[in-house]
Amino acid sequence: MNKILIVDDEIEICEFLKSFFEDRDFKVAIACDGTQALEQVSLFHPEVVLLDIQMPGLDGLQTLKKIKEMHPKVKVIMVTAVETQEKIEEAMRLGADNYITKPLSLEYLEKDVQDKIDILAKDL
Amino acid sequence: MRTPKTVLKKVLVGLVLFSLGAFVAFLLPFLIASFGISDPWVHHPLFSILVMTVIFVVAYKSTEKLIKKFLEKYFFHKKTFAQMTLMDLAGDLTVNLDLQEIANLVVNTFGEVLQLKTVALLVSDPLQNHLEVASAYGWTLSASKGIRLATDTPLLRMIHQMGPHVLMRGPVLQSLAWQEANALARDLDSLQAAWIIPLFVKGELVGLLAFGALLPDTVFDQGDFHFFREFAAAIAPCVHNALVVKRLRELNFELQDSQSQWVQKTKLNAIEKLAAGIAHEIHNPLAIISGKAQVLLMQKGPKQLEPNVQDALNTIVKQTRRAADITRKLLMYSQGSRGPQEWVTLEKVLDETLALLAYQASMDKIEIVRNLDPELPPFYANMQEIREIFLNLLLNAVEAVGSEGKIVAELKYRRDEELIEIVCSDTGKGIPAEHLDKVFNPFYTTRHEAVGLGLFVTKQIVHRYGGSIRVESQIGIGSMFILQLPYVAEAARNTIAKRTGAPV
Repeated sequence: MNKILIVDDEIEICEFLKSFFEDRDFKVAIACDGTQALEQVSLFHPEVVLLDIQMPGLDGLQTLKKIKEMHPKVKVIMVTAVETQEKIEEAMRLGADNYITKPLSLEYLEKDVQDKIDILAKDL
Repeated sequence: MRTPKTVLKKVLVGLVLFSLGAFVAFLLPFLIASFGISDPWVHHPLFSILVMTVIFVVAYKSTEKLIKKFLEKYFFHKKTFAQMTLMDLAGDLTVNLDLQEIANLVVNTFGEVLQLKTVALLVSDPLQNHLEVASAYGWTLSASKGIRLATDTPLLRMIHQMGPHVLMRGPVLQSLAWQEANALARDLDSLQAAWIIPLFVKGELVGLLAFGALLPDTVFDQGDFHFFREFAAAIAPCVHNALVVKRLRELNFELQDSQSQWVQKTKLNAIEKLAAGIAHEIHNPLAIISGKAQVLLMQKGPKQLEPNVQDALNTIVKQTRRAADITRKLLMYSQGSRGPQEWVTLEKVLDETLALLAYQASMDKIEIVRNLDPELPPFYANMQEIREIFLNLLLNAVEAVGSEGKIVAELKYRRDEELIEIVCSDTGKGIPAEHLDKVFNPFYTTRHEAVGLGLFVTKQIVHRYGGSIRVESQIGIGSMFILQLPYVAEAARNTIAKRTGAPV
């Protein structure tokens, strides 16, 4: 079963994404901030992380950097409420695998997550 | 040619001489008698006629001159009249502050009253360090246009040396060595000038009057030159004031312009902050609303949604996306941050945009015509922004036409002005004149469903490229949007990059 970690400080967002992916036979874990996210990456070993950029404390970009340092194979899709060019460029430079904007298109998200998992499967 | 005036003068001269002769002939016998000579031939009429003829011949020239002078002074007022007209003019000018009007009045009055072939008034432009023709009489417009005298030309150096005196071509050229004379003659020729009357205000040269060769039958004397000096002294302050007023107007305009730019910039900054804040705060709730609806719509398993529920959920997803697009758009274009630039083939971007609209246009029976310059060069810009420009203009045009009509999209390269021109015209309902200056304001719209950012955004993009956008419209006939973007050729751009050491 594929594993996905959802990181967002808005608990409601985490929840509907959780039910969406569980409906598609994913194992889902949730984190509400950067620190929790890093813990979960180590404990839960997700293949894909959905990572919100704007979060209190350790923000999305710092978290991304640490995830990629510790687990370079994990695919990270950044989620943003406001796409500022610099932040997106910075995220891409830090190794983000894609970015999507809120409100999310779940159809697109599903396809993108599946793409990342397919790439991982090929690498194995 | 004999005018009635000259005939009258001749007759008067004749009459005066005749009476003078008759008087002398009448007195002569008595005069001779008083000397004690009393020959009978003295009283003979032939003797009197002889004396009269001698007097007539001897005195004709000088008498004619005297009488002419007398007549002109007391009866014809020729020069006095001219001088009065000109002095009246100088008086009128003191209350006039329009440089062009002053210049026109001066050259036309001088030209007509003094019967000059050409007259030109040059005024100084302190910013450009030259004098240029403000108005000319007897010149073709194209010849007088563009004549400039730099402040260091031989003529202006000479005028500064001579001060407020009338410069006469002949005597001045004769007084100079041939090289200097040649240089000065070139300047005078460029103005077609035989006389130059400088206009000084407090030692500063504000302009000059250049008189061309006279029409025949007119001569200037010392009195005239004295008068010209007085006249110059009288109008120089007017010219000076008009120049000051002109400069003030320009400054005022520049100030207003930069002020409105500043206001615009401040407005944009405020909009940017607001949009960023709103986007932040609104996109999360929107994501939750839309997300939950999508989860329901896309859920797998045996549960099937009622059609009306499915419909409602679809609407929720669509409308949340729309709401997010508003803040996103607003934010994107108030930021003014440019995306990556590349050489864009405008024609291709236009075609892509037209392809997007083709379906709707054909449904609405709107004909879209492309009119492309075959020599359109690629344009260095951000592809996304150019697409946005085309899309906004064409969407507007489609909306304006409604159904059944025509849209023309034109791309032109104005080589001389180095401009890329984008023109989009439609046969739509047109924009009321009182709304023309509002169409580029944010949130201005006449449609219920529109946000009113399309043209605002277009204008922001155009301004970022240093271009301009304007609209012409007639109710019931249609509207035309004209965009001009400065074109910088590849070679020039590379040079700029080299010189500044920065990528452009």
